[in-house]
Amino acid sequence: MHSALARVNNVSSLFSTCLMVLLAAVALIDVVSLKVYNAKAKRYPFKEQEFGFVKFDIDADLTPLFNWNTKQLFVYLEAEYASSHGVNNTIVLWDRIVPRKEDAHVVVSSGRNKYKLKELYESFKNTSPATFSLKYNVMPYVGLLTYGEAARTEGHEIPEARDAIA
Amino acid sequence: RLQDFIGQKRVDSIARVALAACTIASFAVGYVLQSLRVTMGAFALSTLLVAVMVVPPWPVYNRHPVRWRKD
Repeated sequence: MHSALARVNNVSSLFSTCLMVLLAAVALIDVVSLKVYNAKAKRYPFKEQEFGFVKFDIDADLTPLFNWNTKQLFVYLEAEYASSHGVNNTIVLWDRIVPRKEDAHVVVSSGRNKYKLKELYESFKNTSPATFSLKYNVMPYVGLLTYGEAARTEGHEIPEARDAIA
Repeated sequence: RLQDFIGQKRVDSIARVALAACTIASFAVGYVLQSLRVTMGAFALSTLLVAVMVVPPWPVYNRHPVRWRKD
């Protein structure tokens, strides 16, 4: 502390230590609770390479997930089924980024899948019934990413393939 | 050269105590107001204040210079 430079060194290292402690405290104090929801689906596959078309309604109030440390929420709809060969598949059909608490009440009426629903073996014949789940990922300003599931439907049988829909 | 060990010790304790207290205070204020911006802003501001109080060679820290012997 014999010179200004020595004092700058001292203060800056103290500052870094305190900053790390502060950020650790912010990251660890997370409090999350859950709520809500409702999802329904219908499907009509399509020939040659069978594509699944899903129509759904979502009403989810995710506002409790927002606290001072939440930067944004990543919400996504997943379909899970077991293929005819017994392999479990999980496919993300639709997603949305929720950047603010005001946008956190997610209401989707007649939503369609954003991403293709297709089976690797080209046909959805003999696959197990598909369950749909609404999941979310809380992205904090400081800290670890946390995941959760907001809702889950019962199994829906995947119907027979049909030709092109007009 | 003038050296003041009492002043140096005082500067060191001021820096340490002030920074620790400001860390806790800015966390508490931000948590109560549920705003991370408040926490980080208060922390940055208080660090700046501590730096201004401590880094420049204020005469108040030089009240007890070492008196070397004349011979």
